Amino acid sequence: MIKQIRYCLLWVVCFLLVHFQSAAQGTTVSGTVTATSDNSALPGVSVVVKGTSRGTATDPNGAYQIQASPEDVLVFRFIGMKPVERTVGDATTIDVALEDDAQSLGEVVVTALGIERDRRTLTYSIQNIQGEDLRSSNQANIVNSLQGQIAGAQISSSGGSPGLPSEIVLRGVSSLTGDNQPLIIVDGIRVSNASTNGTVNRLADFNPEDVDNITVLKGAAASALYGIDAASGAIIITTKKGKAGKMAINASVRSFVETVGRLPEQQKLYTSGFGGIYDPSTTSNWGRKFRSDELIYDNPSRFFQTGVVNDVNFNVNGGTENYNYYVSGNYRGGTATIPNTESERLSLLIKGSAKLSKKLELTTSANYIDNTIQEGLIGSGSGGWANSIYRYPLRYDIRNYQYPNGAPNYEYYYDNQTPDVAIDDVAIISPMWNVMRNPRNTQTRRIVLNGLLNYNPTEWLNVSYRLGQDYYNQDYGYVYIPGTPGSWEGRLYESKGNFVNTTSILNTTISKSFLNDFHATVILGTSQEYYEAQTNAISGERFQNPDIHSVNVIEPINIVTSEGNPRRRRYAAYGDFKLEYKNLVSLNYTGRNDWSSTLPRDNRSFYYSSYGASFAFSELLPSQSWYGKLRASYAQVGKDAPIYSTDANLIKYPGIGGGFVKDATAGNPNLKPETTTEKELGAEFRFFDSRLSIDATLYDAMSEDQIIRARVPLTTGYVIQTFNAGSIRNKGFEISIGGTPVQVGDFSWNVTLNTWKNKSRMLELPDQVRVFPYTFGQPYSSAIAASALDQPVLGIVGTDYLRNEDGYMVIGENGYPVINSADRQQYIGNREPKLNFGFLNRMNYKSLSLSFLWDFRFGGDVYNATRLGMISNGISEDVGQWRDREFVFNGVVDNGDGSYSKNTKTVVLDYNYFATNYTAVGTNFVERVNWARLRHVTLNYTLPSHLTSLAKVGKVGLELSAQNPLLFTNYSGGDPEVNSAGPNAGGAEGGSTMGVDFGAIPLAKSYSFGITVGF
Amino acid sequence: MKRIFYILPVLLMALMSCEDKLDINTNPVQPVTTSANLMLPGIQGNMAYHIYSHARFSSYHSMYLTSRYGTRAIEDRWDYNQITRLGAWRWHYFDVGSNAIGLIDRAELENSANYMGVAKIMLGFSYLTATSSFGEMPVKEAYTGDFSPLYDTQEYVYEEVARLLDEGIADIERSGAEARTMNAASDLIYQGDLGKWVAFANGLKARMYLHTASFNNGYDNVLNHVNLALNNWRDPIYNYSSNPQRDWERNMWGPAKASPQWNFADVVNMLDNTVPTTFFMNYLIVNEPNIKRDPRVYKLMTPGKNNVYQGAVVSRGLEGKVMDDFPNLYNGYWTSDNSPLPYMLKEELLFIKAEAAFHKGDKGTAFEAYREGITTNMQRLNVPQDSLNNYMASPKVKKTAAELQISDIMTQKYIALYLQPEAWVDMRRYQYQATAYPGIEYPSNVLPEFAGRWIQRLPYDPQTEYIYNPQEVARLGATARDWVTKPMWVFENSSL
Repeated sequence: MIKQIRYCLLWVVCFLLVHFQSAAQGTTVSGTVTATSDNSALPGVSVVVKGTSRGTATDPNGAYQIQASPEDVLVFRFIGMKPVERTVGDATTIDVALEDDAQSLGEVVVTALGIERDRRTLTYSIQNIQGEDLRSSNQANIVNSLQGQIAGAQISSSGGSPGLPSEIVLRGVSSLTGDNQPLIIVDGIRVSNASTNGTVNRLADFNPEDVDNITVLKGAAASALYGIDAASGAIIITTKKGKAGKMAINASVRSFVETVGRLPEQQKLYTSGFGGIYDPSTTSNWGRKFRSDELIYDNPSRFFQTGVVNDVNFNVNGGTENYNYYVSGNYRGGTATIPNTESERLSLLIKGSAKLSKKLELTTSANYIDNTIQEGLIGSGSGGWANSIYRYPLRYDIRNYQYPNGAPNYEYYYDNQTPDVAIDDVAIISPMWNVMRNPRNTQTRRIVLNGLLNYNPTEWLNVSYRLGQDYYNQDYGYVYIPGTPGSWEGRLYESKGNFVNTTSILNTTISKSFLNDFHATVILGTSQEYYEAQTNAISGERFQNPDIHSVNVIEPINIVTSEGNPRRRRYAAYGDFKLEYKNLVSLNYTGRNDWSSTLPRDNRSFYYSSYGASFAFSELLPSQSWYGKLRASYAQVGKDAPIYSTDANLIKYPGIGGGFVKDATAGNPNLKPETTTEKELGAEFRFFDSRLSIDATLYDAMSEDQIIRARVPLTTGYVIQTFNAGSIRNKGFEISIGGTPVQVGDFSWNVTLNTWKNKSRMLELPDQVRVFPYTFGQPYSSAIAASALDQPVLGIVGTDYLRNEDGYMVIGENGYPVINSADRQQYIGNREPKLNFGFLNRMNYKSLSLSFLWDFRFGGDVYNATRLGMISNGISEDVGQWRDREFVFNGVVDNGDGSYSKNTKTVVLDYNYFATNYTAVGTNFVERVNWARLRHVTLNYTLPSHLTSLAKVGKVGLELSAQNPLLFTNYSGGDPEVNSAGPNAGGAEGGSTMGVDFGAIPLAKSYSFGITVGF
Repeated sequence: MKRIFYILPVLLMALMSCEDKLDINTNPVQPVTTSANLMLPGIQGNMAYHIYSHARFSSYHSMYLTSRYGTRAIEDRWDYNQITRLGAWRWHYFDVGSNAIGLIDRAELENSANYMGVAKIMLGFSYLTATSSFGEMPVKEAYTGDFSPLYDTQEYVYEEVARLLDEGIADIERSGAEARTMNAASDLIYQGDLGKWVAFANGLKARMYLHTASFNNGYDNVLNHVNLALNNWRDPIYNYSSNPQRDWERNMWGPAKASPQWNFADVVNMLDNTVPTTFFMNYLIVNEPNIKRDPRVYKLMTPGKNNVYQGAVVSRGLEGKVMDDFPNLYNGYWTSDNSPLPYMLKEELLFIKAEAAFHKGDKGTAFEAYREGITTNMQRLNVPQDSLNNYMASPKVKKTAAELQISDIMTQKYIALYLQPEAWVDMRRYQYQATAYPGIEYPSNVLPEFAGRWIQRLPYDPQTEYIYNPQEVARLGATARDWVTKPMWVFENSSL
């Protein structure tokens, strides 16, 4: 099936690259190419005379004709199949059957600007993931489905709620502030992956079923043609196409059951209060011990539930030689492990292409998406979603939050007796009240339009024009209904925005062979991109009619509205020059000039270039059973500034008297582009007829003149400013090994092992800055997510104990450890893993197939701020274990004369110790985490055709799958895959908050059953 | 097909001419500048917030208040080592200072010396308020764009405040008909009455000169400025809305716990979890047959559930008692949602006069000002005349100039300046001595590592100063955990 889908894709390639019918030599050879699997004709197979550029492609019936002499060898190639070579000899008819070959998938890959290239001549590293491998991961969010499948991609989800975003970072963080995620391209146009308001990253709108394959351009070299936003790499998604032939209909239904993942542990010994005294007015858990007659509720497990998600898919596709179509629909909806949390996604994709003439082809698509998410747990800028659950006193039943009539059921209420005012009253209510009654809602309606006109006036020239628009509106809002403690009379917040990104690209490709063995490809093009958003936000408080939760029942004076209108335009002109000698050597130069509206006039135009070379040394040797290639590249990419960073503005003063005050953000009229320079060295090998393939890459990237938007010293007169300063270096390796360890009879076992490591270093920070804290990475000051000078970029800084020269804790006269107060911002942790492995396995036996992905991670510190908060609150399991116990700290006492003696003083681990000593030391909450995680396991069974034919269906498959079912880790908290603020949640100032656990909702473990039917 | 080669360069040329289309980097929905009259209300509102941002913490350090817990880091332990942000720094440099400088620049363009003068007085006031909590701070290199400006000595900050106030008065005096109108819409403090602004500037100078009078023989200067101020005085008071609907219209001390500007949560008042101290409440006990308590206690706070007016020992928490046994700190004269927030009160001027005259040896003037200070404060709080009379007749109030002691003046000023940051300045000028504040005791739950040293200042904003200006911060010694116990220039030199 897959190979046929690629027909169209290949058709163009063959036409362009291979269709060089040179002057007749010898005889005409003809024949038909079929697939061994089902004997169907294969259109678009390239047929080339070996060692020359003479070739043709099979027509829609799989037939070909070529001029060849008897000594010529014909090479038949088709994507996803093993190439076949035949010596012509005396034959005039050569029929060939091609076999499937998983290992050779990706021979031709989509690179920058949708240009398809033979992988063998690439001078940089890319990785290709097939739609099937995405599919079997059974993730709703495409970003999550890439977990473990790309060497060099660090993916972290913000938590197990459907509305939380996931972040993907390729080859480390290259910008100290702002978005470090790669550019996302769907069918050649840029689409938004933003997570405005901290909602799900917008790539989650797209239906994974529509994805044919994904190519990941990891480094600057691969991305030079995309410019600005590709400084962090690019993810190029190609959707499925209709295939010529009879109309095919496919449908699937899947049901998922989601259960809560790993949760942090609580103590069940002490009730609420302070200082060992019971106090009903607090949710602090430092009270006396529970009495034996008191009920203790296991609130986290009473809170989380089992979610059910249903996913229905269908697609219809077909076509002829001159047109094809693909129509798909998807509905995915259901509940989650969090009560009152629901998501619903509806997507409709219509795609078609038509040959308008022999030389002109038009491809258009429209994708409509409606993605609605309701979430019970609401976090803040720094995360903290589930803190209210983890800290709620166990003496109350968390489910006890309202009376049958819907009125709030306060567990404690203190009337401060201000007449007619509830605003100062104090109440405790189960966090379930907010979850059930005050959820947040996001609705996105999106339409992605795409048109491509492809003109092939001659066999060596292609001109294409692409025009695309990604338009969506996002409604986001929440309501606190009257009766909610702290918002007694209710309040609401709504933001509505229209976001549009229009891309147009005019691209010319000239591809010509000369002097027999040389081949040159020249690409010239221009592009323009326009981004605009129109946003309105409304906040209001005090509903006059408590049952209606709308601005309509709020007095005008209590309503605040605001409007935003960011705009950006970019132009680019680019060129890509490539020279190949046989299949042996290729040289590549790219150059690009960008013009961006976000930079000051004098700095808005900038040029950068890349150089690359590859050398397939195995071509020099006679053996054909292996393949070896070296490649090297050097590339630069420039990056522009955030929108409207050059001027300072005034904003409305919302206080009495009105007027205007300065906006907190200063303007900077001297901004210049940020530059990333990357060197890359790689090697590719294939052995045993491609049963084993190895692709290894080393890279070294430097980002300089960082465009940083950060809190600046207030003495400048502003709070935030955008400026150029600082540099970051990322070095690392990526190894991807593919192979077929076993292929015996009907049984085959394919594996892909991805291994990677990134090592970053903060080489330079602005001015005297030594530590750069991340705005949304500092839930507590004893440890914060930050970048420290000369240390790994994704660091943790904070306090440690005072230690003597031998590293022993120094214990004070009072018997408690002494905190090192001289440096409260020591570098105490690196949140980047030391080593990552993604181990994907696919096994096939007759009609059974099994796929599973293990994800191993070694090292990488996690900042367990969840535990810090739970200890401060007194509910952490550790507190139950250690509180009020006598203890002798293992450390040394300063004798005052430079010598130390062992501490022997017994002290009590009381509240004061936990509150002022233990929780004040950041190193107590930094854990080096390893994990082994089964990301997914999927078992497919295809019903025998004699059964399915009875039901008059073509193919029926049954699927059992589990996502995230197994997790082995040394982490003391919940699930260690954490990212507190998510990607650019609220414009996070800082590289990334991955590895910060602050009230994280654990990733769900889910199990699914599915049926697929094909007609 | 060769035509393609002509088309491409043409397209590239067309691209170059798109330059204009790239000029879209100005925000179409936000202004870049505005007229002077629209800039003053924000500065005045922000100044009220600035004062509050100091008072929120200083009211615990000056021991009006203590937390119910006894374990709060800042309020009970004076431990600022765990804070993420210190808002007061921002309220000076950005919210008041930067806007005041913007107004000065704008007024210069508009030839509006009146606005320029008022802006300079506001900027000077803001600097004085800030340095009283922070000590050394950047002045010369502030607002230059430098990320690591030098910190000037507090002495220099005082000189700058004096310069700003002098220039402000001079600007007001030269303001003529060409200046833009200043009226009730643009000036929420004095409704454009420029003479009152001059009086306020003199009042600020009196406050400032009192700080240094003990060591630079400045009491005459203080008295001179008090008199200049009193001549044309009207209280500069920032009035919140009488029926506030939104946080921006509410006093931050009120029960709505207004938090108009997003901030780290600990700037929000916690009076619901706070009780008055025994130290403060003892000053309010009279215990005479006709008057049990200072009548102001019923105005400053409201009765608790059990109608008991007691205090808790500083930093010890409730020690087993319940909140209902304490008065409710909300809805007092200064602690309602619609309470005014004073920049400076007439009674402060009177007590400044009393103190200055007292130290000069002029007990007669001191005595008069002392008594007038008490009655002014009582009348402001709407104390009934008979209660006022009973109080003035009670032993709480000295009857002759000869009997007058410094503690009489300072404790009365302390009561009158309830919840004002200036009360903490007074207490530090006297280095928490019992001669000025009888009954004062070192709180027992303060961090032991402070070894009995009193709190002297607030730390700089950890989120910016400690990050961008580490060398200066280290030079000052502000990285030490006990930095807050280091006396600043004005108190170190105090000979009181």
